[in-house]
Amino acid sequence: MKRMLQWGLSLYFVLVAGNVFAKENLSLNEGEVRVFPAILMISLLILFILVGVFSKAKDTEDYWAAGRGVGQLGGGMAIASNWMSAASYLGMAGLIYLKGYSAMAYIVGWTGGYVLLLVLMAGQIRRYGKYTAPDFVGDRYYSTAARLMSALIVILISFVYAVGQYKGIGMMFNWIFGINYELSVIIGTGVVLAYVLISGMLGATKNMQVQYVVIVITFFLPLFFIANKLGYFSAVPQIGYGAAVWDIGHGGNGISAAAADPSFYLPFANNTAYHWFALCITLMLGTAGLPHVIGRFYLVPRVSDARWQVVWGLFCIALVYWTAPCYAAFAKFSNIAGVTGVTISPDAIVVNAAELAGLPQWFSGFLAAGGVSAAFSTVGGLLMAGSSAFAHDIYFRVLKPNATEESKMKVARGGTIILGVAIAVIAMNPPAFIAQITAVAFALGANTFFPMFLLGIWWSRTTKEAAIVGMIVGMTVTFGSMLAPKTSLFAYYVPFTSSAILGVPLVLTTMIIVSLLTKEPSAEIKELLYRVHNDEA
Amino acid sequence: MEKDININFFKPVGEFMTRDVKMKRLIIAIWAVFTYGFLLLLKLVAEPESTVEVTLSTGEVITQVSGKSFLTETQFLGFPFHYWYSAQFLILLFIFLCWWYCKFIDKLEAEFSSK
Repeated sequence: MKRMLQWGLSLYFVLVAGNVFAKENLSLNEGEVRVFPAILMISLLILFILVGVFSKAKDTEDYWAAGRGVGQLGGGMAIASNWMSAASYLGMAGLIYLKGYSAMAYIVGWTGGYVLLLVLMAGQIRRYGKYTAPDFVGDRYYSTAARLMSALIVILISFVYAVGQYKGIGMMFNWIFGINYELSVIIGTGVVLAYVLISGMLGATKNMQVQYVVIVITFFLPLFFIANKLGYFSAVPQIGYGAAVWDIGHGGNGISAAAADPSFYLPFANNTAYHWFALCITLMLGTAGLPHVIGRFYLVPRVSDARWQVVWGLFCIALVYWTAPCYAAFAKFSNIAGVTGVTISPDAIVVNAAELAGLPQWFSGFLAAGGVSAAFSTVGGLLMAGSSAFAHDIYFRVLKPNATEESKMKVARGGTIILGVAIAVIAMNPPAFIAQITAVAFALGANTFFPMFLLGIWWSRTTKEAAIVGMIVGMTVTFGSMLAPKTSLFAYYVPFTSSAILGVPLVLTTMIIVSLLTKEPSAEIKELLYRVHNDEA
Repeated sequence: MEKDININFFKPVGEFMTRDVKMKRLIIAIWAVFTYGFLLLLKLVAEPESTVEVTLSTGEVITQVSGKSFLTETQFLGFPFHYWYSAQFLILLFIFLCWWYCKFIDKLEAEFSSK
């Protein structure tokens, strides 16, 4: 745990020293408590904690795998809310607002990955029947070292991912309560830890369903009014905003042709096709290699349910992803139309869009509260994944195989607290936009877990040496792309958000070569794989 | 298990896996063509005279096609067509592909469990 802290901290300082990331405006509200949004936010937090308390985890089995009894739609909603973080709710719209069509790679990347996940992994992983991603790695690659390394990577991914979420929580608390950003992060940390510790994952799963409903309602409702106010088709604003995109680029609805900004919709006005591709494929492969997403397939009793859960999950996600670009377009429209007097920050553009449209404050309050809910549900899942990697995969499987349920539980809780606090420290000084920080976590997942699962499931010749070397190469590429000077040619071709463009082909090649050079896995492993692929048992 | 069986995506063993893998390939092919084929298409049909200056992360400024073409200048449901395609149609297609695969594999499993 201590080592993990050191890792995170030194990584962070190197990043700051390298000045990889730009500074931006984090404070949107100085000292004013916004009454309705504050009441809404506090009621939601109380609701989440109550739901957690009433579905309290009984023992460790529950704490990790939620009793394996979650229905399809329920599971889909849990996948969706676990998945839709502040990056989906706040971050994506912010980047589309800034970069127009170039940022569409986030929308496509974060949905398209599910096709790969379903087709290549979901059923097989469920048939394999393990609790966590490191469990799979440890067994498939018959190696304690591989298990340990993958557990560390799980913790790292959770860590990076959660930093972006804390930033979202901090900015929204600042907007609602007027307390400064740093204090907002500290308070947010306290609340997240409280409910994860009280409830465990069973509570978290229930909570995720409640949070999904909150996310969808808060995200949809204000949009009808914004569209209506700006004069667009408001019955289905997800269609209505199309005309706004057109007007932003061509002029119309009060925007003169001279003021129009075609770079918002033209595909290659802000970036190259190569970078669109690199980012999109990184997010897709990362989706298929993210431990806390893969982990959700163990929660269902039957293989078929595991697969249908993906369909439902993707549908629940799509509702929000069809909606996010609306906020970017409407904010951009108001902006070009010359609305002033609103403090704008890209990562708060969803909230700003309602302010820019001149709606009463409680509309923005809805969005701010929804943004926090989105961040909470994801942080909950991440803290669980990170702490169970520590308690289950490192402590129980390696350090103390005869540990009692009680001591496992204690270690899991201790791990959650340390992880939660460490993330808060880093989030005090956020290194990039929310969606970008999150993309780094995906790049790490794509460069390490994706090749390991892909080859592990689909090529029985893959050896443990290959897995270990593969993880080292994958981490080197991910962190290398973050450390490379921003203006270097390497950083141009392998941006820190898109490092899987180099990482995945390199790791796959390395793993194949190393496998062929080392001793073949035993017949048992092959037999196991045969069963995973053939429904004969 | 009779003998040493090697699992390889490109050499499936057993009838179940063979049919499953065939379907997987089809789905992945559609997924790739519709996602990245479209990106390539946008680049290929772009009007060469409509160019923009883009500042790269290296500090270099390059001139490239903006991507303006009949795909971006046709209105569909109010959207520039390519924008609608990426923001809405692709997601719908992804859901459809997942649904299609689940239907297929459920049927395949039912067939094999009754054998």
